[in-house]
Amino acid sequence: MSLIDFSSDAFIVAFFLYCFAFMFYVIAAAGKKWSNRDPLVHEKRWGKIAFVTSSLGLAAHLTFFFTRWAGSGQIPTSNMYEFMSFLGMAIMIAFTIVYALYRKTLLGMFALPLTVIIVAYASVFPQEVQPLIPALNSIWLKVHVTTAALGEAFFAVGFAAGLMYLLRVVDFKGKTKEAKRSQFWVEFSLYSILLIVGFIVAVFAFRAAGYDAQFDQEKSVIDTKGIESTIKETVNYTLPPIVKPYNSEVVKFESFLGMDSAVMEAPYWMNGVNSGRKLNTVIWSIIAGSLLYGLLRLVFRKPLGAVIHPVMEGIDPDDLDEISYRSIAIGFPIFTLGALIFAMIWANIAWGRFWGWDPKEVWALITWLYYSAYLHFRLSRGWQGRKSSWLAVIGFVIVLFTLVGVNLVIAGLHSYSGV
Amino acid sequence: MSLIENTKCECGHQNAVGTVLCESCGKPLEEQKDTAELPLEMRYDGVARRSQKSNPNVIDRVWNFFSSVKIAIYLIVLTFLTAMLGTIYPQENTFVGNFDPAVYYEETYGLTGKIYYMLGLTHTYESWWFIGLLVMIGTSLVICSLDRVLPLYRALSKQQIRKHLQFILRQKTVFKHTIEGDTGHWAEQFGAQLKRKGYRVHRDGTALLAEKNRFSRWGPYINHIGLILFLLAILARSIPGFQMDTYVSVPDGDTVQIPDTNYYVKSEKFTVEFYKDEELPDKLKGTARAKLYETKAVLYECVSGCGDPTAKPELREVTRHDIVVNDPLKYKGLKLYQFDFDLTPRLNAVHPVLVDKKTGNVYGPFDLPMRDSAMQHKLGPFTLDLYANYMEFAIGDNGEPTTLSRDPVAPAFIFSVKGPGLDPAGEPYMYFPMQKDKVKFAQDTINKGIADKIEIRVDGMDNVDFSEASTHLNVRMDRALPYVWVGAVFSMIGLLMGSYWQHRRIWLRIDGSELSLGAHTNKNWYGMRADVAGALKKVGIAVDPKSLDNGGNNA
Repeated sequence: MSLIDFSSDAFIVAFFLYCFAFMFYVIAAAGKKWSNRDPLVHEKRWGKIAFVTSSLGLAAHLTFFFTRWAGSGQIPTSNMYEFMSFLGMAIMIAFTIVYALYRKTLLGMFALPLTVIIVAYASVFPQEVQPLIPALNSIWLKVHVTTAALGEAFFAVGFAAGLMYLLRVVDFKGKTKEAKRSQFWVEFSLYSILLIVGFIVAVFAFRAAGYDAQFDQEKSVIDTKGIESTIKETVNYTLPPIVKPYNSEVVKFESFLGMDSAVMEAPYWMNGVNSGRKLNTVIWSIIAGSLLYGLLRLVFRKPLGAVIHPVMEGIDPDDLDEISYRSIAIGFPIFTLGALIFAMIWANIAWGRFWGWDPKEVWALITWLYYSAYLHFRLSRGWQGRKSSWLAVIGFVIVLFTLVGVNLVIAGLHSYSGV
Repeated sequence: MSLIENTKCECGHQNAVGTVLCESCGKPLEEQKDTAELPLEMRYDGVARRSQKSNPNVIDRVWNFFSSVKIAIYLIVLTFLTAMLGTIYPQENTFVGNFDPAVYYEETYGLTGKIYYMLGLTHTYESWWFIGLLVMIGTSLVICSLDRVLPLYRALSKQQIRKHLQFILRQKTVFKHTIEGDTGHWAEQFGAQLKRKGYRVHRDGTALLAEKNRFSRWGPYINHIGLILFLLAILARSIPGFQMDTYVSVPDGDTVQIPDTNYYVKSEKFTVEFYKDEELPDKLKGTARAKLYETKAVLYECVSGCGDPTAKPELREVTRHDIVVNDPLKYKGLKLYQFDFDLTPRLNAVHPVLVDKKTGNVYGPFDLPMRDSAMQHKLGPFTLDLYANYMEFAIGDNGEPTTLSRDPVAPAFIFSVKGPGLDPAGEPYMYFPMQKDKVKFAQDTINKGIADKIEIRVDGMDNVDFSEASTHLNVRMDRALPYVWVGAVFSMIGLLMGSYWQHRRIWLRIDGSELSLGAHTNKNWYGMRADVAGALKKVGIAVDPKSLDNGGNNA
């Protein structure tokens, strides 16, 4: 068995350990109200089991990382699969550090599913080791990517704690305008998370069914001399094409539920690599996510926020607020170093300019400005509790857009790690 | 604001206008009734900021505007919102070569593209309003910091140990207790515990002040100094001569001037190496994935005849380097980076012969470069006068010959030939060095009669000079760079100081046997409470850390 095969096994082990750890955290939190037990003892006991499990998961994940590194001869952060799974690992590291500081068991109930989703999302992408193109082959790339991801991981933990805070304090029985608005947006946040889950489910379901479709797309490209030429590209779909690529012809189309041609064509202004396919994926995620959401609503017969809210009882909201803020405050310098300073050093070495207003660079700057606004709002304007938690939640959306959305929608230097 | 406010504290200290807490004893000054029970606002230790003056003049008003953190936050938010707009479509500077933004955006993106261009968003980051925002952020950084750091420094460097009871009991972390036994001994014991936790302990009878990590308060200001340096460095780059960023394309063997400089660069050889199939995963097999590309470059400096277009410049070699990605040629701040390449071969020169078809005699070969050929070639009894020379020959719309570009893609020569059997005034002869063009443009048909008398042809590939590839180099120069790094280092040090350490202070006083303890930190109340509870436990008082919380904000 080669090192790379071994590392793939370690990855699967990590994934399942994370899933179990998540379940144990849920038991630790929800099981407090079960009969014939002392809630405090129960929480302590199961919290410990859950933490040990999640730490074992992290150990397996680290094993994956280092054996893949050894096996491929390059640090596994160079494509979307490797990067996203690294991000998942970084979130676990950040969670472990924050846990060590605050010892709040329930944080795991939110950090773990986040990791599980991101690790599952990572496995959507092709898992082969790809050789690096020369522009990427530098020590600074490794340092830049890993440090930036670690900073973002702390923002992720800040997001998890912020969302917990909101689930804890929002009044889900309230009928006031303010309460209704909070309920809506909390529900919307949960729905958005389900969309990502929906995406993963859709991809794996159709992959298991072996679905594929193919299009030939004609594209005009303008080269460095300004000469326009037309190239033909084959675009492969693994999800039934609701949207076909702009300016394309069907090569192969398996009928799905009676649908045997694409419903519409991707708009011309979507510039990213394979943007038609990506738009199709987004639409499928919305469909699958909405189905999932509808199903959960049918099972519980009330908004998901109201389902989770009672579990949060007994947690001090001030602690959650502080944890959210503290994670972001810990992550901010790391993010600055990794996503801006190391990135500038690397850009200066690789392209001879430390800053080029490439979309990915701009979005890293936007993320940084956003979190510096967050810190100033908190320190100088006294934005705490709800306001601060909402900012932490929105901030993570910006982080995700920087990591994934930019590659999805905008073309630029970083599109080599395209979806 | 013209009224003179009475800002004298009951302890006798005269405070400046705008002071929230007495600079000496800490007693809250002039407050509304409804906040009288809440924890105190401890920001900047309650001292008056520079901007809080009673009679502001114009300069004070500008100062006041920029000294507001609220304004600073608005500026930050505005900056990132506008920065977002700039990423909707590619910016103008991502296009190399001749391209007309006015046409491009409308053609590619339709009406929205046109509006985008007209709003100036196609060069967002060079626009006056974006740079204006950066300048304003810089100003705000300077003024906000100065406004706060000086008063804060004064307040922290002359702290009084015995604080007003209200000051202590209205901290966010508060503890009250009745002490049995010797209060002096208790205070000493408690102080010793705090010392073990790394606090500096000052005592004044039964009053105590313990403080740790004061330096972390300077973190934000050091960070801001770094950011100011960084911004200044960036703004300095718009000064001419500070920064350059251009591209040169150099075919193998050519020497090309670097625009706006006295330097010339020669590419002796460009090589590209691709990954072999066995090195690639299945999906990428058969694709040309570049592994390494390299330009053997030589840099020359022009020593004479430089500005004169008619004279040939005299060049002196200054340095040579094999440029690969991540390893540029560097010379006196000038850097040449590998940017791209073009593997289309380019014809440089041919060495053709002239054949007299009547006699079968062969004259030559002679040297015929594609550019700057000699105007006349003498070959035996024949004389060739160069009449015209095209780089990419084509017949224009008007039926006249024309050239489509300045690169020798389809070169053509028109000679006026004199010699035996030819018109003494000279007969025109059209010559296409490339076989494909000879066929395409039907050379023999164009030349008519003269094609039966003479022929110009190349014998074998030895007589053809061509470049296999062209290398595209990116030329950069940036004198602001050292300042950028210094700024980044300052900023990072400041951030670390401010984020990973917290300034913690504990005040206590014992009045009779009543202990009043208050504690303050600028971050991490959880840790602050743990410190107090830990020290109390060591002296025999067990408290739940959470119970010390007095409510209020926990910034």
